[in-house]
Amino acid sequence: MSESSSHTLLHMTAPLRDDFDIAYHDVGPREAAPRAALVAGIHGNELNGVFVLARLSAYLRGVVAGVHEGQQLRRRVVILPAVNVLGINTQTRVWPFDKTDINRMFPGYSAGETTQRIAGAVYELTSTAHYRVDVHSSNLDFEELPQVRLYEPSDAEREAAQRFSLPAIIERRMDSVFTSTLQHAWKRCEGQSFTIQAGRAGTLQPGHCEQLFRGLVAFLVRCDILTGVELASDDDLTHHFGVRQTCPLIAERAGMFVTTAQVGHWLQAGTVIGRIYDGFDGELREEVRAPVAGMLSGIRRQPLLYQGDLIARIQTRFEMDAPTEMALQGLAQ
Amino acid sequence: MRIESDTILSLELPYRERLTLQRTAFVGGSGPRVAVVSGIHGDELEGLYVTHRLSAWLEELGRRQPQALRGSVELYPAANPLGLDSLERSVPPQGVDLNRTFPGHSQGLIAQRVAAALMRALTGAALVVDIHASNVFLREIPQVRINQEFRDSLMPLAQTMNLDVIWVHGAITVLEATIAHSLNRADTPCLVVEMGVGMRVTPAFTEQLVIGLLHTWRGLGVLDEDIELPPLTHAPFLADDGNVHYLNAETSGIFIPTIEHWTGVQQHQLLGSIVSPHHGGSLSEVRSPTDGVLFTLREYPLVYEGSLMARIMASGT
Repeated sequence: MSESSSHTLLHMTAPLRDDFDIAYHDVGPREAAPRAALVAGIHGNELNGVFVLARLSAYLRGVVAGVHEGQQLRRRVVILPAVNVLGINTQTRVWPFDKTDINRMFPGYSAGETTQRIAGAVYELTSTAHYRVDVHSSNLDFEELPQVRLYEPSDAEREAAQRFSLPAIIERRMDSVFTSTLQHAWKRCEGQSFTIQAGRAGTLQPGHCEQLFRGLVAFLVRCDILTGVELASDDDLTHHFGVRQTCPLIAERAGMFVTTAQVGHWLQAGTVIGRIYDGFDGELREEVRAPVAGMLSGIRRQPLLYQGDLIARIQTRFEMDAPTEMALQGLAQ
Repeated sequence: MRIESDTILSLELPYRERLTLQRTAFVGGSGPRVAVVSGIHGDELEGLYVTHRLSAWLEELGRRQPQALRGSVELYPAANPLGLDSLERSVPPQGVDLNRTFPGHSQGLIAQRVAAALMRALTGAALVVDIHASNVFLREIPQVRINQEFRDSLMPLAQTMNLDVIWVHGAITVLEATIAHSLNRADTPCLVVEMGVGMRVTPAFTEQLVIGLLHTWRGLGVLDEDIELPPLTHAPFLADDGNVHYLNAETSGIFIPTIEHWTGVQQHQLLGSIVSPHHGGSLSEVRSPTDGVLFTLREYPLVYEGSLMARIMASGT
């Protein structure tokens, strides 16, 4: 496959090793501004998004090369599979040298610290795109159902979020911990911004990747960026949850957490989600039950459980009070 | 004078142990209550030695002149005990920066519960001093940092802290979740002290700050107005967003300074070089953009493009 779509976003020196590039794909017709900008790998251990965006770029290059008969890429798309290049190669969430979180450096500054420079370049490339998507995979401890996150969205963003055909669209408030994220920086720009959460960091989950890939293709098709692709009619699988339809389960006991729960399942109130055992004497400390009925949108996968940890999130059909959710939501993005 | 030790938060850990947040209080009369917090970042140790020296001074006061403690002093040396125990800047295991978690949440993650417990304990104090030791990369001259929003109320307190610089920052939204911002918003005056470098203790800076704290506490009425204290030895320069120059690395390599920390510099003066371990030439010369005083100097030699090497406060302002 042609490598001609590859461009250098930023070329940087390193203290001891060779210079390195942060590269992106620029596919489709030449236009002043991209119609869509897709970003992943701001955190170097979130691999589902990196893999899917790399695969998507291969697919779109194939479309442009005429490999897929009848399909056409009608608008310009930029794809940045991994922002945190050194983080990928050292399996590190943050920028490995100074441990700063690149997603707390936006909109960036071209004369500032290394990660401010990286953030600035990413923002400059993506901010003029009409549709902007930032893909994340929670953290090492938690698995997220593939979902669109909307932060204080416009009606147009609410409508467009349906086009991904992912199982859940979840609205959040833009808390103060988010003020230096890419999503927050994008909010100041014309156009529409989406965050996607899919799976868990530190691993590659083929099922989530498949769903994410199909979702991104569906989005490009429904935005008239990609034509000639026949989509499965799975609109009814998407559920939209407002800011008061998320119920977090917080651990009040520590121990070893054991679960076989699967994200995406609908639970009845009282269903056992997992069990907490004493790590020393093996006694059962607590059965963790769903306090409300709803869809399991996230589940803890790290067995070492601390008091105060997030065990699960349940999306409810009806609005509820969820005071702790606000305080917890910033930790995975 | 009573000396009380207690635990303001105790959390269950996965395997047998508990995380506890400890406080030592020196309680004298009914005068104002002040507090010192340190160890919010687990790689910053300067404040731990400050609380030791304050304890020694207060214990001695208790033996010789207990009635001179008109109010009370509370010490919270290790705000991030798991981080200090495991040499982590942030709060293990989630890696959350405690000082981006305030005012916290009593039903949230460990860091949020610690933040909430500190807020509960500290709100209402006449003065809280939050001691930081930069990070492992930069060495800082002892300084007070103040957000512009609270300048009027905090500046008089900062003036007697016996430190070298008072740096007034513009309002930056990203710092809203710090302990200082949260306390000041809650009408509890909080000064942030930055001094030294991460993972090290600088005893001279400690003694300088202890003198300043005692003078400030005497001014607030925590200590008897007639108590004799060692004289102030330092007067602060005023820094702000207009007179502080940042020197970021033009390229990557090893930064070798040719100048001492906290010295006067002239415009264009050579401050150091960035060199490569692979060859003998210089990659970049680092020169001062202005006449002034170098108050931040890089301690960790490796630099990436953009790494901060020094900060200079321009003179004549």
